[in-house]
Amino acid sequence: MQNILSILFCLSLFYLAVTPRVKAYVAVLRFQGILLTILLMVPFVEQFSVFAVILPATLFIIKVIIIPRYINKIILELDIKRTIEPTIQQFNFLLLVIFSFIVIFLASSILSLTTNIETIPFASGFAAVTVGIFIIIFRKKLIVHVCGFLVLENGIFLFGTAVASDLPIMIEIGVLLDVFVVVFLMGIALNRISSTFEGFDVTILRRLKD
Amino acid sequence: MLEFSVLILIPLIAAVVCYLIKSIRSQYVISLIVGAFHLLFSFIIFIGLYKPNLPFFFSTDSLSKLFLLILSNVYFWVVLISFSYLKRPVTLKAQEGKKYYFLLLNFYLFANTAAILSNHFGMYWVAAEATTLSVAPLIYYYRNEESLEAMWKYLFLVSVGIAFAFIGILFLTLSANGTIMEGQQLFFSEFVKNAAKLNPVWLKASFIFIFVGLSTKIGIAPMHSGDVDATSNAPSPIAALMSGSLRITALLGVMRIFQILTPTSSYEFAKLILIIGGLLSLIVAFIFMFKVNNYKRLLAYSSVEHLGIITLGIGIGGLAFAGAMFHTIYNSLNKMVLFFTAGNIHSRFKTREVNGVSAVINLMPWTGWLFLLSFFAISAIPPFGIFFSELMIFRGMLFSDKPWILAITMFLLLFIFINMGRTLFQMLYGEKEEKNIQEKESFEIIHFAAIVLLILLIAIGIISPGILQENILSISKDFGIRL
Amino acid sequence: MELTSILQGIISLVLILGLSPLFVGLVNKQKAIFTGRIGASLLQPYYELMKLIKKETINATSSSFISAVTPMINFIAVVIAAAMLPISFAHPLISFEGDIILFAYMLGLARFFQVLAAMDIGSSFEGMGAAREATFAVFAEPIFFFTVGSIAFISGFTSIYDIYHSIRLDNLSFVVFIIVCSISVFILAVTECSRMPVDDPNTHLELTMIHEVMILDNSGIDLFLYQYSSYIKLFIYVILEASFFYPFAVQSYTLGIIIFLVVIFILSAALAAVETITSRFKMKNIPHYLLFATAIGILNLLIYTFTR
Repeated sequence: MQNILSILFCLSLFYLAVTPRVKAYVAVLRFQGILLTILLMVPFVEQFSVFAVILPATLFIIKVIIIPRYINKIILELDIKRTIEPTIQQFNFLLLVIFSFIVIFLASSILSLTTNIETIPFASGFAAVTVGIFIIIFRKKLIVHVCGFLVLENGIFLFGTAVASDLPIMIEIGVLLDVFVVVFLMGIALNRISSTFEGFDVTILRRLKD
Repeated sequence: MLEFSVLILIPLIAAVVCYLIKSIRSQYVISLIVGAFHLLFSFIIFIGLYKPNLPFFFSTDSLSKLFLLILSNVYFWVVLISFSYLKRPVTLKAQEGKKYYFLLLNFYLFANTAAILSNHFGMYWVAAEATTLSVAPLIYYYRNEESLEAMWKYLFLVSVGIAFAFIGILFLTLSANGTIMEGQQLFFSEFVKNAAKLNPVWLKASFIFIFVGLSTKIGIAPMHSGDVDATSNAPSPIAALMSGSLRITALLGVMRIFQILTPTSSYEFAKLILIIGGLLSLIVAFIFMFKVNNYKRLLAYSSVEHLGIITLGIGIGGLAFAGAMFHTIYNSLNKMVLFFTAGNIHSRFKTREVNGVSAVINLMPWTGWLFLLSFFAISAIPPFGIFFSELMIFRGMLFSDKPWILAITMFLLLFIFINMGRTLFQMLYGEKEEKNIQEKESFEIIHFAAIVLLILLIAIGIISPGILQENILSISKDFGIRL
Repeated sequence: MELTSILQGIISLVLILGLSPLFVGLVNKQKAIFTGRIGASLLQPYYELMKLIKKETINATSSSFISAVTPMINFIAVVIAAAMLPISFAHPLISFEGDIILFAYMLGLARFFQVLAAMDIGSSFEGMGAAREATFAVFAEPIFFFTVGSIAFISGFTSIYDIYHSIRLDNLSFVVFIIVCSISVFILAVTECSRMPVDDPNTHLELTMIHEVMILDNSGIDLFLYQYSSYIKLFIYVILEASFFYPFAVQSYTLGIIIFLVVIFILSAALAAVETITSRFKMKNIPHYLLFATAIGILNLLIYTFTR
């Protein structure tokens, strides 16, 4: 089950690599949030405990409901144009993504020989981190950077389930809240940027230089 | 429970109270009381009068005691001068931000204390990210374009960096695979105990990820840019807070993982990485000192330089390690004075450009002289503390297996000193412009703080209290270094 | 080969040839319903084919023998490919080790001659269409090999019939492969058969056409062959995709056939829905779309190779 979800996660990453729309990014983030929630719910099939519901519930609320809504609200309020404005050709971007997928899967299969890891979620999580970084590097819009950051965070989350580290619930929720507040602050900053600067590109952020 | 409540809960409660109270003056008083209590308590803990016994994921050891003291010291002085700083006129837009100032400061104290005292890597991560979140809005204090850009860059870069550190923490879990640590919680003290059994490949990967990730927050090259932007555009108390305590907190994370690596085969590798990071920071500071025209940026690069020296010292080991620990103390004291006085200069001249500032000594004698003295202090001129710690680091380098590093460091530091001095002297002396002649500046609380801090800097350096030496010896012992 | 299996093969070939226009009619009907029209009758494609047979064939004066033979070659190649496909449990007429390659290149041959014939006429429009068709074919071919090829790789067989019969759904990861593969085969079908997001079969502007522009100058029996073979081609891909779902009903024949029909119906609905809700991509975006499908195939292969 974990594998299926991770593969769907990979598909969503490919979709991110080809789609030219900002809205689609938000939709993908929502989709990934749902996948991660299901991933957390899987152990419940065997044993159910009310206490363990807290984490998936928080995850669902934050990653599926609040954050996508918040980003959509920003897009709507600031009237951000719907294309993502890539700095390299989408085609090359996709090639880059495919190439990094190959490298990551190769590397994690080698690593899984010596260590006990779930290869597919491990590799997908790492791939998501890479794609998140690529999105941040090769896109101009700041809101897309926020989305890239969230993809990266989702990847780390998936990755965390793959290495079977069970952090205490308090800390997991702390991580989620931290991510949420980061996005919240970035949203406020974007609001300010829209009223201070003209546009939402990284190109406007060039005052600070040596 | 007492120590837990004083150190961690009370700042959080104070933050909530600051949210409820509208008057800035009472917010200030509350924060100051909290800061004083915090300082008192961490001092008591530091000198060993009180044996703390913290619940949950928290605990203390020599390292966290030292860093806690540094944090509460910096925090206390920053809060002390904050009120006079807040009274300075700002634009209308920035006025509304003031009401969150103490709230965020208190939250910062809460988060940072939690980060320093945490014994669990997950807890450390959450708390360290929370410090970023509390500092980011403070950077945007002036509500202008530069500070907005600096805040965005800092928030983004550090968040991404710290996400990488999280990957490193997950790798640490992996390294425990197949040992008795498997499936255990990420308690740092447990990892230190069982370090030799961990998987070296994952441990190395973990170290690299945590180091690179946190170096965005420490502000060492090549990930320094966000930190430099933030430090140079934040209001001076916040810049002092960042340079003095926030960077140290991030350094703590790196030192934790470094400590785990100490007894393993990856030790040399980790040392090499730290040395490279330190040298790179020195080189970056060296290059940018040539072209920087903004004195706050200059100070930010000076922070990069000194954190680089500390990292270098930790990487070299031996005597240099102890020197680095001393250096963290002196650097935090010294950076406070520098940023406080620079803040005074900024509010007088309304510019951060070096060219717009001249004859500071004549116009603002208190600030000017203190600025000059703190510049001497940061350039390791005796009898200021940094002289002793740098001497220690240099001796450590000389007697290590890589003495050539000393030559490079000395060369870089010399040029950094020359360039920094050239710029600062131009500001301090220089031609007096007619329009700038106003009334002589009065003695303010900032000057008082600066004088006390400078005296502390000299006193600690010369007296070198036994309790401090003992503490640093015990830290060195934790890191497997015999002095 | 036994007589029954030959008989099965012949029956399935006849079924493919006979039902393919019906499938197109089904798609068109649903599309009409989705857009709120009543639409033409389900049998409309048959009527159109009948009409074309009755018309006179005229070839351009500048064309050579290639234009004359191409429709026939095209049709025969597609029919041979169709003969390699198993319908439900029936053994196909042509089946041997490695026929998956022959299958791919029979379709390739058909396309090659079509491109050649389009250039043969010498019209600039047709040349443009040929160029486009050839370009997109470059991107479309890896999709086939990475998706169907990865399943071949996983099952260890190289014959279409054996590949499909080796799929077992008791293994969960096979389900994933099927989900993943069916997405990319769907994209492949859309591309190869010039359906909506890639090419608009109903457009009236030659500049935006891909496939239709190549057969602008054909008429009568030639056009009939072209049209018919394109219907068959679409049906081939549909069967290719529907065949993934055999294993659900390995136990029972009737259930197998029902599932097969249901899947075909769902696919027609999906095609109609996609054609209704999407508009044609910009030409420069089509390679992304195709590379996306290739990426899915590569992902499939990666997952299989590295996670056994």
